[in-house]
Amino acid sequence: MRDLALTMSGVEAGYGGGLVLQGLNLELERGTVTCIVGPNGAGKSTVFRVISGLLKPRKGSVLFGGKEIGGLSPGEILRSGIAQVPQNRALFPEMTIHENVLLGGYAIRRDRTLLKERLAMVAEMVPMVVERAREHAGNLSGGQRRMVEIARALMLDPALVLMDEPSLGLDPKSVAKVAELVRTMATGGRTVLLIEQNVRLGMNLATQGVVMEQGQVRLTGDAAGIADNPEIATMYLGKARNPTT
Amino acid sequence: MIAKLKRPRVLVPIALLAVLAVLPFALPDSKYEQSVLIVCFLFAIMASGWNLISGLAGYISLGHSVYLGIGMYTGAILGKAWGIDPMWLIPLGAIAAAVVALVIGVIVLRTKSHAFVIITIAVLLSFQLLAANLKKITGGSDGLIVPQPSWAVDLGNMPYYYIFFAILLLTIVLVAVVMNSRLGAGLVAIRNDEGKAATIGINTTVYKVTAYVLSAIPFGAAGALYGQYLGFVNPLGAFAILTSVYLVLAALIGGRGTLWGPVLGGFIVAFANEFATTSSGGVSARVLIMGLILILTVMFLPAGLLPTISSRLARRRSKGSAVTFIDQAAIAEQHDEIPIGRLIARSKADVDRATPILEVRDIVKRFGGVTAVAGVSLTVERGSITGLIGPNGSGKTTLFNCMTGTFRPDSGRVLLDGADITGDKIWTRAHEGLGRTFQITRLFKSMTVLDNLVAPLERTSARQMAAGRYSGEEVERAREVLDFMGLAQFETQNAAALSFGQQKLVELAQVLMLRPGIILLDEPASGINPTLIGKLAHVIKRLNQEGTTVLIVEHNIPLVLSLCDHVHVLAGGQILISGTPEQVRNDPQVIEAYLGPDHMLEVPHA
Amino acid sequence: MEFVQVIAFGLLLGGVYALLASGVTLIFGVLDVVNVAQGAFLVFSALFTWQIWDMLGFEPLLLIPVNGALMFILGWAIYRGMVIRVAPQGPGMTVLLMFGVALTMEGILNLVFGNKFKSVTPPYFSSSLTIGELVLPWPQLISGVVGMAVLGLMYAYLRLSWAGRALRASAQNKDGAALVGISNVKTSAFAFGIGAATAGVGGVLLAIMYPIYPATQYDWIARLLGIVVLGGFGSIPGAIIGSMILGLTESFANTYLPQWSSLFFYGTILLILLFRPQGLMGTRTREDVA
Repeated sequence: MRDLALTMSGVEAGYGGGLVLQGLNLELERGTVTCIVGPNGAGKSTVFRVISGLLKPRKGSVLFGGKEIGGLSPGEILRSGIAQVPQNRALFPEMTIHENVLLGGYAIRRDRTLLKERLAMVAEMVPMVVERAREHAGNLSGGQRRMVEIARALMLDPALVLMDEPSLGLDPKSVAKVAELVRTMATGGRTVLLIEQNVRLGMNLATQGVVMEQGQVRLTGDAAGIADNPEIATMYLGKARNPTT
Repeated sequence: MIAKLKRPRVLVPIALLAVLAVLPFALPDSKYEQSVLIVCFLFAIMASGWNLISGLAGYISLGHSVYLGIGMYTGAILGKAWGIDPMWLIPLGAIAAAVVALVIGVIVLRTKSHAFVIITIAVLLSFQLLAANLKKITGGSDGLIVPQPSWAVDLGNMPYYYIFFAILLLTIVLVAVVMNSRLGAGLVAIRNDEGKAATIGINTTVYKVTAYVLSAIPFGAAGALYGQYLGFVNPLGAFAILTSVYLVLAALIGGRGTLWGPVLGGFIVAFANEFATTSSGGVSARVLIMGLILILTVMFLPAGLLPTISSRLARRRSKGSAVTFIDQAAIAEQHDEIPIGRLIARSKADVDRATPILEVRDIVKRFGGVTAVAGVSLTVERGSITGLIGPNGSGKTTLFNCMTGTFRPDSGRVLLDGADITGDKIWTRAHEGLGRTFQITRLFKSMTVLDNLVAPLERTSARQMAAGRYSGEEVERAREVLDFMGLAQFETQNAAALSFGQQKLVELAQVLMLRPGIILLDEPASGINPTLIGKLAHVIKRLNQEGTTVLIVEHNIPLVLSLCDHVHVLAGGQILISGTPEQVRNDPQVIEAYLGPDHMLEVPHA
Repeated sequence: MEFVQVIAFGLLLGGVYALLASGVTLIFGVLDVVNVAQGAFLVFSALFTWQIWDMLGFEPLLLIPVNGALMFILGWAIYRGMVIRVAPQGPGMTVLLMFGVALTMEGILNLVFGNKFKSVTPPYFSSSLTIGELVLPWPQLISGVVGMAVLGLMYAYLRLSWAGRALRASAQNKDGAALVGISNVKTSAFAFGIGAATAGVGGVLLAIMYPIYPATQYDWIARLLGIVVLGGFGSIPGAIIGSMILGLTESFANTYLPQWSSLFFYGTILLILLFRPQGLMGTRTREDVA
């Protein structure tokens, strides 16, 4: 039997009158890095919003570690072991890097020894948070910011990490660093789910690939296969010129 | 429009005012009643005046009674100096109040800020201090005796009754005129969304300051008379914060933002105050009661009496009758035969047709340690449909915001028709012919679709502000534009009732009312269904055929490539390539920017 | 020497103001609410101090923790019971709500204490500390020093405690705070409590410096909000600088041009707003990189 970290089956969800996810099925195996790709509006971010509890699914189930999390609050989901690294600035700009990382452990603040252990663990995985502990988060470059965001998410030792476009706006060097960190996480038994717009880059970060289009999963498979699939380029850039009228 | 006069909401108040007009004659022996009603008039005048800045524009003033005090002192001081009835100084009281309001307004209302509400309190207290300390002029804290009227004593309070009544009527007329003017529409737009109001050409500073000055005028006028009515003025009485409380409460209870709400509220609060005085007496009890009423009103009746009642009535009326249902997907067929070109043609003199309509040079914009745009130069040729694309985080939205004026670039210049607009205000850009839409639509939700369309302004002028909301050719033009877009059926609907896609089309129609030379579209296709995307593409093409230049920032690459003549691709805050859609589609760099570099695949997984 | 004296006086006064204005700016920073009831909180605490001192006659400064806790609870309850419901209607309505709270409190205080000046006069009330030619009255000295000390403690608490971190996180980035599991509602209630508690402590300090009666709340709120406007909304360093400016202006004006001191201050505010609409230390709203 496969060891599944997360199972989404028949999930429908949307905003207002519209439905974005239309019967989505998704399975994530423990210890894998899966990347969701797809053109804008395919519903990638909505998948994240459903998993993290920001959007309640209208139909279908979301199982995490065998338990239904479909109706839980974002706080409950966070504590159950799903951490999120969002796309937009999520750091506290006027606080130091150390404080930002420390706040990642807000939910375990009463257990001082555990907090210390986690800080040590995170320091080992992301050394820059110790090296530059006293710098203010607002002055960091995009790549450094991303590392701090990931470090902060790791403070709760999550079993599943959701990362929304981790390579967004980063130079190749920083992307390589993020990729390295993602792999380290997976080696430690964590499951990682990424969203990437950039297909090949995403597949390079991941072991598994999922292609979404119009609220559904179009293709799944191992990352290399997805990256080479010629259909995807068409999905993104369109076919030969044909006026939409 | 005429039919509206027969509605109860117009007839009832007019009938009540008529009763008030004949009351002193109908009840000759009504000295007490008259004195109570005079206070009612005063409160109604103040609440209505306050309504102009705090109700319509949404800028709360907690010290507005300062203008009553200024009127009172103007009447008292000049009346004494010139030896005339302060009654004749009513216009001067109004002018004095207006001048002070102008100075305060220009300082505090330039930006959208919380400072306004606080400064209003400080101004009130400052004038209290001034009046107490400028002893030679104001008599210090003892105050001044105000010259009494020269009319026959046996007339009693009747002349006061009628003069206050007249000021009240004039105030109501003032508020009605403002509400039905472009100024009033602009103020409501500011209350809805000040940032958006600027993008459709509303000079928010001038509008807010004008509303503030107009709101002070009834106070000043009433003040000059009120001082004489009381017989003396002193700092604590003239500049009492409690007066501000009464008038805020009056407008709030009656319904701020409405014409009759503050008037009704003025009567209610004055009666309540009279009751509190005769039954319990003390000032402390009144402060307590007013405080409690204020809390309860804010918490349980935030919209005020009149709006709450009328929405209840409307709900009851619509019960039984079919509910008006808006088909959220429906858009009628576009009417291509409508000469949209004529409707939006802009006659701008002295522009060399060869000059690019929009050009940016060496734009740099940083946020903290992140350089979002790193020295971009590009041009948008006149008459083109130009696309600006790039992966997320490539800086295209930041660049877009530098063009529209939302951001000021750290360095570099933005040129419109060859003229530098880098430092221009957002509304100036709109006047110069730069229109924009928003990714998440920002229509004025409390207004109808038609009101949204007549709100844009092509210039700022006093005549235009005074013009009727529906005057001029704008309404006709708005209807034709709606018709062209296939939106005519929604004319009277509230913008908030439309679907997101419909709102996007309405927002484009709204921008067209500016007769823009260039329209900047911020992700027009995001969040709307494929059918609407098709309609949108069609509209964009039609507009372009009629000479409008369009710049599109968009994620939907197939749409951009099928629509545009020329595409700029941004990556990492810099221009990656500019060219035709065909060149862009086949450029290996673009493919790499979106799909990733080929060689990365060769890196083996760990 | 008079000059030094005036400056020392101004800075001591500024110390008290700094504590009070920090409370206002804290509430604004976290909740976007302009707390116009801070003056009423302050007067309430001062009159309570007078009442206890009048009845029991003991050292009023001992009431600092009591009043602080009392006002914390009051502030917390006002947020939970009222502000939280009105907040979705925007800052305009919360200002009106807090104005209503201020009036209600003034009315209650009027009924209980009457509309008369009350003075707390502990033994040191009319004595001074003399250092060379410098003469510092004990009440001013104690209030200024205690005010700054309490502000220092509060600042340290906000920096070093989890509650303080959560509060600052919530003020800087609400989404980010929610992401790490901070409840923005709880944090807001806490911030409101702390903001009110500064008025609780400040009320005791004012009681030994000035005679108090309920309607003086307007003077206080105008001063405190003026400081916040001057320093820039939401900025604690701004509030401290604004307080020192007010303290010094008042001290100089009291010495050289008595009666005009508040006017000088308001004039300064308008002058600064003319050139910096966002206040001295205020920043324009931060925009995200998109």
